Amino acid sequence: MLINDLSTSGALPTLEKMFLFAGQRQRIITNNIANIDTPNYRGTDVDPRAFQKMLGEAIDERRERTGGAFGELNLRQTRQIKSNRSQLQLNPQTPTPGVLAHDRNSRDLEHLMQQLVENSSTFRLASDLMRKNQNQLKLAIAQRVM
Amino acid sequence: MYGSLDISTSGMIAQRTRMAVIANNLANVNTLENSKGDYEPYLRRAAMFAPAGSPNDPQGVQVMDIQSNPNALRPAYRPDHPNADADGNILVPDIDTTTEWVNGLEASRAYEANVVAAEATKSMMAQALRLLA
Repeated sequence: MLINDLSTSGALPTLEKMFLFAGQRQRIITNNIANIDTPNYRGTDVDPRAFQKMLGEAIDERRERTGGAFGELNLRQTRQIKSNRSQLQLNPQTPTPGVLAHDRNSRDLEHLMQQLVENSSTFRLASDLMRKNQNQLKLAIAQRVM
Repeated sequence: MYGSLDISTSGMIAQRTRMAVIANNLANVNTLENSKGDYEPYLRRAAMFAPAGSPNDPQGVQVMDIQSNPNALRPAYRPDHPNADADGNILVPDIDTTTEWVNGLEASRAYEANVVAAEATKSMMAQALRLLA
């Protein structure tokens, strides 16, 4: 394995994309929570399942292109999720479903908290796996066996 | 990620401002004169919220205005008051303490929701920093 393939091998690019997605989505969720009492405000979101589907397609595409689990991941661009090499831009367009309250706000605290927890867990998973990956790399460099 | 913290902070500031407005309404529930001592019954105020930033670049919530409602007055029978009209009525602030109390409860719960979101963001930031260690 060449040294410049280190950062694009195995699951690392996938984890990086997960990391970026969770970081960006946190902004959207906190914004929905901050506007919980704003009249006429409809919450927005980016569907995480759509993102995971895109990620799956990108992994399949990489496997076809390179014949293995290495190389850059190229995410498909959509209206809501735009990505380039190192950044991910989310344009939330899906209004969150829910009954409108008397001030025409579609607040739903339980769903918001659920999204918050799911998103932090995704972030945590990505960062834990990344750290594990890094530690293995360090051990390999130090020529030690676990 | 720091953007998320800013957004939660904006929510906390907005709810705190709203709480101050509610406290002010409750404190002035019997106020009939202005600071100069002239007869001018206190008008109920309300904080108006609006989203900050754009849908593609959300920046939380902001207090656009603190409006006073010129119609929030009701007549009360006080024939001994110097400003009473021919029927013995004066105008007093029309502030319903129960409504204010419920609004205050809502503001404090919304504040809590923002604190929870900020805590979640903080733990995510700590996670990201642990990658360096």
